[in-house]
Amino acid sequence: MNPGVVVVAEHERGELADITLEMLACAREVADAAHWPLTCVILAAHAQPFQALPLAADRVLVLEGPGLEGFSPDAYLRVLVPALKGLGPGLVLLGNTGVGMDLAGPLCALLGATAVAGCTRVQVQGSTVVCTSRLYGGKLLAQSELPVGSAVALLLPGSYPRKRGMQNGVPKVEVHAAAASGPLRVRFRELIEPKLDDVDVRKVPVLVAAGRGLQSKENLGILDDLARTLGGAVCATRPVVDQGWLPRSRQVGRSGMTVKPRLYLALGISGAPEHIEGMKESDLIVAVNTDPDAPIFDVAHYGATVDLLDLVPALTDRLRAAKGGT
Amino acid sequence: MKVAVILRQVPDVVEELVIADDGRTLSEEDVMYITNEGDEHALEEALLLKARHAAPVTAFGVGGEEAKDALATAVAKGADEAVFVRSTPDARGDNASLAARLAGPLKTGGYGLVLTGVHAADQLDAGLGGLLAVQLAAPYVGGLTTVHVDVAGAKAVVQKEYAGGRLGVMEVDLPAVLGVQSAEQPPRYVSVGKVTQARRTLQASELSVPSMTVPGVRARALLRPESGAHAKMLEGDADHVAAEIVALVKERGLL
Repeated sequence: MNPGVVVVAEHERGELADITLEMLACAREVADAAHWPLTCVILAAHAQPFQALPLAADRVLVLEGPGLEGFSPDAYLRVLVPALKGLGPGLVLLGNTGVGMDLAGPLCALLGATAVAGCTRVQVQGSTVVCTSRLYGGKLLAQSELPVGSAVALLLPGSYPRKRGMQNGVPKVEVHAAAASGPLRVRFRELIEPKLDDVDVRKVPVLVAAGRGLQSKENLGILDDLARTLGGAVCATRPVVDQGWLPRSRQVGRSGMTVKPRLYLALGISGAPEHIEGMKESDLIVAVNTDPDAPIFDVAHYGATVDLLDLVPALTDRLRAAKGGT
Repeated sequence: MKVAVILRQVPDVVEELVIADDGRTLSEEDVMYITNEGDEHALEEALLLKARHAAPVTAFGVGGEEAKDALATAVAKGADEAVFVRSTPDARGDNASLAARLAGPLKTGGYGLVLTGVHAADQLDAGLGGLLAVQLAAPYVGGLTTVHVDVAGAKAVVQKEYAGGRLGVMEVDLPAVLGVQSAEQPPRYVSVGKVTQARRTLQASELSVPSMTVPGVRARALLRPESGAHAKMLEGDADHVAAEIVALVKERGLL
């Protein structure tokens, strides 16, 4: 019997998140190779927005019920665990996201399954699920095996093309009533929109991005000069923002902004997967990091291993001179 | 209300990571250990809760001898109690067995909140927080930037990061396990002198529960990411690199 692959969809305000299509693309590959059925499970308060989507699944199962208005891991687990027990899939795909990471541990413990996080590739070989995942801040890849039937893989956003998560035509859609019985221990209250400061980093053509290599807040000044010279703005990775050196609205990455500027100048950034998610589609990426093994060089178009504190003033001077001369 | 925080020692990814001869682990002699970054933030959040609610904080330091330094630092920062959880490199990143091992002491300890980093640098599996929550029959939510507890200590109001810089506000019944993404303020600094003093006077109890073997996942191979799409490297000194970047910027019409 073919056990099947299940994708646990993520959505917000009636729209499927990009990661859902990427998971479907991954699952489609697995399903086609193993001749498995592919089921996309969607938990929602209202099934209506999800009833006619051209998703690359064999079946869409919408579990509709109260308590699923916003994401509560408690509500999701109460609906998802019995549903997955009923489906008995060979492999469950979750997003390596705020939602998937909340579900993975409890889901594994309650289903007797094991998860691999940070997956960039998932394949089935016979009775084994083979996962390739990013480890140690993206510096290394791990290959690991899970037994079919108790395998959960958390897919890293950006690992599969979204387009392949769709197909021509709408698959069979079933809507089942689902209720998270009893009072919830985690209750979703509201969503707070980000406070934007003077600059919306999603809208400027050039971004000068600061990573841990910046070393101190005082060094932001020379980055700011450079950004002004280029008609752009300074943004940063999480560690820089966590230090309080720049406001949250300047953070680029998984839980920050997703940007696609014409030029992304990555300075002192190692290139953790969470950061790369937010900037990899920039037109031109130039990375400067003294560590030649930094993963940022795998997504950058151009790279250099000089010290950013030497480079930035020299670059600003040369740009000013070039501007003055034209 | 008592607060527990788990401080895992993990390889510092800023250092060079050397793959051992077995091809699936790190070469132990080349590993530099640090406290997992998310766990540092969990400690900071715990200390903020202590300041606001006079909540005693117990730090569980997981790792080899270096975990004792992490505990001394935690005590110097304000943790009230230190528990050393001896762990060997072969158990590295195995959160399923760590959760099973910590479950008993965390249950009997009567903690209202257990804080962990939402993610660990050496994490291959589902992550400690969620696995631990099931063991403790407590709810779990992670990716948090703020944890506030009501006066009665019955529930927490937390903020969870969503994509696009948005924050979800959630209410969680206590006791609970929470995965901290980043604390409300940067982890506090404590002077080397204070740490040295704390190290000298540290009274860490050692967890008596031995390591457990539970079903989990192990890497069969560690690999360096394929450098198929590697950046074209600009050679020379800073000034030369600057000149090349200016040429690129001009070529793209960005000046």
